[in-house]
Amino acid sequence: MISEINKYLDKLISYYMIDKDSASLFCLDDEIYTNKKEISPEAYYLFEKLNVNSLLITRPDPVVWAIIGELAALYPQVISPRDSESLTFIHDIPVIDVFDKDLVVHALGCRKGCIVKDTGIITTGTVSLEQAFISFSSICFATFVKYFSDFINGLYEYGGIPHPRPDQIEAFLNISPLITPPAGDNPLSKDVPLDEEEIITSMGEAGFSIVGNRLVDSFFGNISYIKGGNIYISQTGASLDELSGPPCQIDCVSLDESSTNDLTSSSELGAHIKIYEYTSDTAILHGHPKFSVIMSMYGPALGFGDTRLVGDIPVVYGEVGAGKHGLIHTLPPAMEESHAAIVYGHGVFCSGKGAFYDAFSRLQSIEVMCYNKYKELVEARLKVNSE
Amino acid sequence: MKDFCLRGLFIDITHKKVRIETLPSDVSRKYLGGRGIGVYLLSKAPTASPLDINAPLVFSTGALTGSKIPASGRMMVSAFSPLTNTISSCSVGGNLAIQMKRAAIDFIHIVGKAKKETIIKICDHDVIFDEIPSLGDMSLGDMFSRFSGFKGSIAAVGRAAIHGCLFASIMVDKSFAAGRGGLGLVMASKGLRAIMIRGSKRPIIHDRGKETKARKDIIRLFDASPAIMGRSGIKRYGTPALVDLIASRRMMPTANFQKTYFNEYKAFSASNIIRSLAVKHHGCYACPIGCKQIGPHHTQIPEYETLSHFGALNENASLASIIQANSICNDAGLDTITAGATISCLAEIRGERYQGKDFVDKVVAMASGKGEGELLQLGSARLAEELKVPEASMSVKSLEMPAYDPRGAYGMALAYCTSTRGACHLRAYPISHEILRKPVAIDRFSFSGKARIIKIAEDLNAVIDSIGACKFAFFGASLEEYANAFSAVTALDYNTDDLLRLGDAIYTLERYINTKRGFTSKDDLLPERFFIQPGTSGPGIEIPPIDRVMFEDTLQRYYKIRGCTPDSILRQDRLKELGIV
Repeated sequence: MISEINKYLDKLISYYMIDKDSASLFCLDDEIYTNKKEISPEAYYLFEKLNVNSLLITRPDPVVWAIIGELAALYPQVISPRDSESLTFIHDIPVIDVFDKDLVVHALGCRKGCIVKDTGIITTGTVSLEQAFISFSSICFATFVKYFSDFINGLYEYGGIPHPRPDQIEAFLNISPLITPPAGDNPLSKDVPLDEEEIITSMGEAGFSIVGNRLVDSFFGNISYIKGGNIYISQTGASLDELSGPPCQIDCVSLDESSTNDLTSSSELGAHIKIYEYTSDTAILHGHPKFSVIMSMYGPALGFGDTRLVGDIPVVYGEVGAGKHGLIHTLPPAMEESHAAIVYGHGVFCSGKGAFYDAFSRLQSIEVMCYNKYKELVEARLKVNSE
Repeated sequence: MKDFCLRGLFIDITHKKVRIETLPSDVSRKYLGGRGIGVYLLSKAPTASPLDINAPLVFSTGALTGSKIPASGRMMVSAFSPLTNTISSCSVGGNLAIQMKRAAIDFIHIVGKAKKETIIKICDHDVIFDEIPSLGDMSLGDMFSRFSGFKGSIAAVGRAAIHGCLFASIMVDKSFAAGRGGLGLVMASKGLRAIMIRGSKRPIIHDRGKETKARKDIIRLFDASPAIMGRSGIKRYGTPALVDLIASRRMMPTANFQKTYFNEYKAFSASNIIRSLAVKHHGCYACPIGCKQIGPHHTQIPEYETLSHFGALNENASLASIIQANSICNDAGLDTITAGATISCLAEIRGERYQGKDFVDKVVAMASGKGEGELLQLGSARLAEELKVPEASMSVKSLEMPAYDPRGAYGMALAYCTSTRGACHLRAYPISHEILRKPVAIDRFSFSGKARIIKIAEDLNAVIDSIGACKFAFFGASLEEYANAFSAVTALDYNTDDLLRLGDAIYTLERYINTKRGFTSKDDLLPERFFIQPGTSGPGIEIPPIDRVMFEDTLQRYYKIRGCTPDSILRQDRLKELGIV
């Protein structure tokens, strides 16, 4: 269990997700394991009162923490994100002013994580520490997206969001320069993988680069490669920086449906298959780059069947999976011409020929474009307002 | 708010007496319904012999049944098992749960023994005891056809129960089985051949708005789950979707668990079934998944467990014989897991293989209880004892293992031993995270953390079984969403953690009853084979024997976490804390 703690502590630190010294990770089997020298009374209490086996208490990186502070001032009891992943998995995030152990127990009894203003983000798991890690990462993503999308929509008076007050604008102007602009380098090879071993290596490298360039939330997205009658696709819930293993988290799925082994494949397998049909590309990457998600939510809310453009990239509505409002119906045709599309409030899908180089370049350039557009739109509006 | 008090029928079938039994609010709030109420009622006679005239048989629904909440049409049948002598309860689908709800009945609590074979008919407030001329060996298929004009739901036992089979099941609406542990024999021992229920009232929902929101949240998660709604999910293929996956993980029990891989598994894979047979889907009341499959001429397509045990466990690659044998089991009311495992046990002892027609013949004998069937009706543990080869029974507490080899998933190995009804995959259902990666994937070949993981999973599944939900729903949704649904339907403001604590109390009470019935840590044991014999390794997958020291260490950790002494006896302070004593 210590190795599990070290693995997630290492991820939190190496990807700059936390305020380093604040991270407390705990696993409970018949005794408590932690990265700390001592087990705090709070941790004892939470484990005593909650039927969970893992606990993460930490402050996110200072920028996200500042954003959470702003949101918590606006929504003192609960923050309700509107992005698709949060609607599906996180629902909403309870907010507590000061660490009151019983209030925290109640909040964590209702939701996967909560924000405690004098402490940080607290998340739990009932199966493994990975759940607590995912919920932490999702809360960081959800609050980031909500803050920036609410701000721009408020400026342009979309979605009934009130125009930011002067103090909110001031806070925004303090926070936004701290954001690291998306990177533009592409470390991937253009060499086409020739056999299964090379495909898995190539997918592992692509996944690692997506995470390394912070083009994904919670380390999840999905990746696939088509060769012959098979699609190689990341498994459901696979962390993109661990795809090639061990254990390998890539399924080889036969297109002739002679096997049901894809029971463990990404929930977007059906969409990937249709994208290949529409584009005749060979590689697909799906990530959750923040400003692409934020810009997809700029403007009136979209519903099933609605589309719009950000730059020349289509934005479509679609829920996760293959339900009647699923992105499987809307995304593949939207990618036929552009080889890329943003799913409203969710993330970016890109395809390319050959290896993952082209698809990765598209993913990056879309995020850079969205980041720049966001800045332009906000600056333009603030300028108008100040005049 | 109206208080939450579960309302049932107490039926003394000896004297044909019926009274309304309303459980106090504190009991109803604590035990929720379904499995919880079953164990509560059984705890009133904790040491009763399974077939004793006063031993209870309980049918109980969960609070969610009758609501718009997806996958909420399950209910429980509870009794002491004549096969294992443990407490036992089985989740069963079909329409029985919704008909009970419409008749404003949360549970039916039956004791006694009828003088003549009896059918109980419940139509809203009316309860009729219909003494019938013995139906003898009438098949369940014929019995359901005979009552096809009845517009409600029927639970019935077949000739296996009448002939004393220790693993006779109760069949509901022809296709759904309360399969494990021989609860059909308990029902038959009461002279009760069938219960027919029809209700006409609309179940009460506390907050329709919240119910709609909860439904939407859950459906969204179903849609996002590959195991439920994916290209090869159970909506499309039913549980046979697991055949390829379990085989590829090298954990498909083969040749009575002597191997873990069957070369010819493709013969009964889901894709082969769909290609070779015209299959239609159906399911429990108001379920959006509809995991049951019907083939030509209304033939039931077997579930994964049956395909695997009638196939790989007996090295039988004849799909036709598997389907035929499954139909015989359904018609006679036989638990297919125990049936397949008992035949494979006999095959190992005799050094024979029963395939195709030979396998079907064994099932026919088992159903009739005649000739060799007399031995087969005992289940594998007693059969192996009789034949002086007890180690050939692949069971825990005399309940045969289902179709997941414990050498391929160590959480499953532990769960088989800690399960309160014997080797059962559903009490903790670790296949969800060890194989299907839900809610997250964990290392199936490690014992690290598994003691608490299994304990929490047992508590969770006790809740699922007590609120009327289906376990498959949790391949997508979590208790967080179902807790909201429960609150919307009942007005009880329980969150996830509140429910898990109640699940803990329900599970602990089951364990406490088993202790009173004489079960100790000596009964929480895997068959020796799994510690000394490797499984069938394959490309990139090693299946070694289970490390005994690691296993026993994890079991001790489990006892500590569950609140037991090292020899598995529940501590008094723990029992007090949970309000059990």
